[in-house]
Amino acid sequence: MILNIQKLEAGYGKLKVLRGIDLHVGKESVGLFGPNGAGKTTLINAIMGIVKPWSGTIEFEGVSIGGNATHLVARSGIALVPQERELFPGMSVADNLELGAAYVPRGKPVMARQLETVLTLFPILKERYKQLVGTMSGGQQRMVAIGRALMANPALLILDEPSLGLQPSIVAEVFDRLSILKKDIAILVTEQNVRESLKAIDRGYVMENGAVTIEDIAEGLARNPHVVSAYLGI
Amino acid sequence: MKLKGSYLAAAAATAVVVAFPAFLGAYPLAVARSIMTYMALAISWDMLLRSGQISFGIAGLFGLGSYASALAVLRGGMDPFTSILFASAFAAVMSMLLGLAILRLRAMYFSITTLALMEIFKIVIHNLHDFSGGPEGVVLPEPIFGGSAPALFWLCMAGLFMTIGVSWYFEKSKMHLALTAIRNDETSARSSGVDIFKYLLIAFVITSTLQGMMGAIQVQSYGFTTPDTAFDANFTLLPLAMALLGGIHSTIGPMAGAVLLGVASEWLKLKIPYGHLIVYGFIIILVILFMPQGLVGLARKTIRNGRTGVRHE
Repeated sequence: MILNIQKLEAGYGKLKVLRGIDLHVGKESVGLFGPNGAGKTTLINAIMGIVKPWSGTIEFEGVSIGGNATHLVARSGIALVPQERELFPGMSVADNLELGAAYVPRGKPVMARQLETVLTLFPILKERYKQLVGTMSGGQQRMVAIGRALMANPALLILDEPSLGLQPSIVAEVFDRLSILKKDIAILVTEQNVRESLKAIDRGYVMENGAVTIEDIAEGLARNPHVVSAYLGI
Repeated sequence: MKLKGSYLAAAAATAVVVAFPAFLGAYPLAVARSIMTYMALAISWDMLLRSGQISFGIAGLFGLGSYASALAVLRGGMDPFTSILFASAFAAVMSMLLGLAILRLRAMYFSITTLALMEIFKIVIHNLHDFSGGPEGVVLPEPIFGGSAPALFWLCMAGLFMTIGVSWYFEKSKMHLALTAIRNDETSARSSGVDIFKYLLIAFVITSTLQGMMGAIQVQSYGFTTPDTAFDANFTLLPLAMALLGGIHSTIGPMAGAVLLGVASEWLKLKIPYGHLIVYGFIIILVILFMPQGLVGLARKTIRNGRTGVRHE
């Protein structure tokens, strides 16, 4: 088991957002779906230590990480591609990628290898290697953000709405790359674009009002009447 | 090839500066010392700015270093040179303790707190009359190195070179990535494994130490100081203006700004003894409005445009 979350509760101030979440990720690609306000991003923030859990447990590779400082969570092997402001716009592609590995013990020694992997996965980054990321298109920036996360050589890659604000062809490209990646590392991805992401995941959860309401394999979700009517719009 | 050229230029410039006492008189040397002091302060201010934190506490640490050094000689019987090292260490320890508290603040809350600290140091020195000499200040037995103009120049130069060296190291090492990441986005920096607080504390302590050291060098060179001299707000405002004029987030920018504004200020002081600060104010406003990247940024842009024939806006 890579990630194991049990009875997790968390929120902001007095507002409880997560009401007892049970979720696990093995060596697989897991989707996390749900409407705005369901608590998907809060769950990710709780895993990363950006939001402190109120109760419940978060275990990563068998070790409890609930409530750890964010930079320690990152160093232990979880890489996050945040929903927005995901990059360092004043830095070049090269610096952004280097930063992804520079502070993570498991990333630093294999930096050259990971760089090779990232540049093969996203060849456009090779062309734009010295360019400031602030001057790049939204799709290219998302690729840099994913690349930076991969540079840390993570055991678990978390992506928060990777398709947000991207044109359909780029969305397809991003999920295509994720389906390649999932052979090597565990992935947890939140999405509004359920249709595209079902191609890149093995299993998925649907969250509503801070709780998991459906858990199923990808094929099961695609057939589930509630998922079909609420998220696939058929 | 280009890199080699810039190293050669730096070596040549260093040689010329080292040789200044051979062909400059006492007055130009004193002006050069003043410019070098401001330059070191401007660079150290910029080093912390690279993490996005705007400090208004330069004068506070400068004054703290001045008084730590002066009082170590007067009350502790320390020899002047050792007192400079002592004052630097004192500034380091103080800034570490303060940093643990105030580096949890951000943006203007951090800035205002650093400004307030400067006043607190000054008030403490003002009121510890028996120990610190109070508002009348302190007079040392004699300036360091017997007040020899070349020796004072080289001492100040050593302080400046040390600052440039540290700043250069900040630019070339992992510090650069960490500070830039923190400035750009703290959450992303954290998620990439950067221990934000640690790097902010390192940057704050190192820059504070350099500022305290320059204060100590200053007081040992003049042989006296008062609270109003040591904690003069100009030690905060001028370095800020110089860094902004030259171009922030670099070593070369504050250096260029310090030379330009330093020479201009000396000239203005002679021409308009009481109004030269107004001119500074105008310079800062004009720079912010018309060249937010400073002179160095403007030069880089011009060179780039000249090369590619494209205008970057």
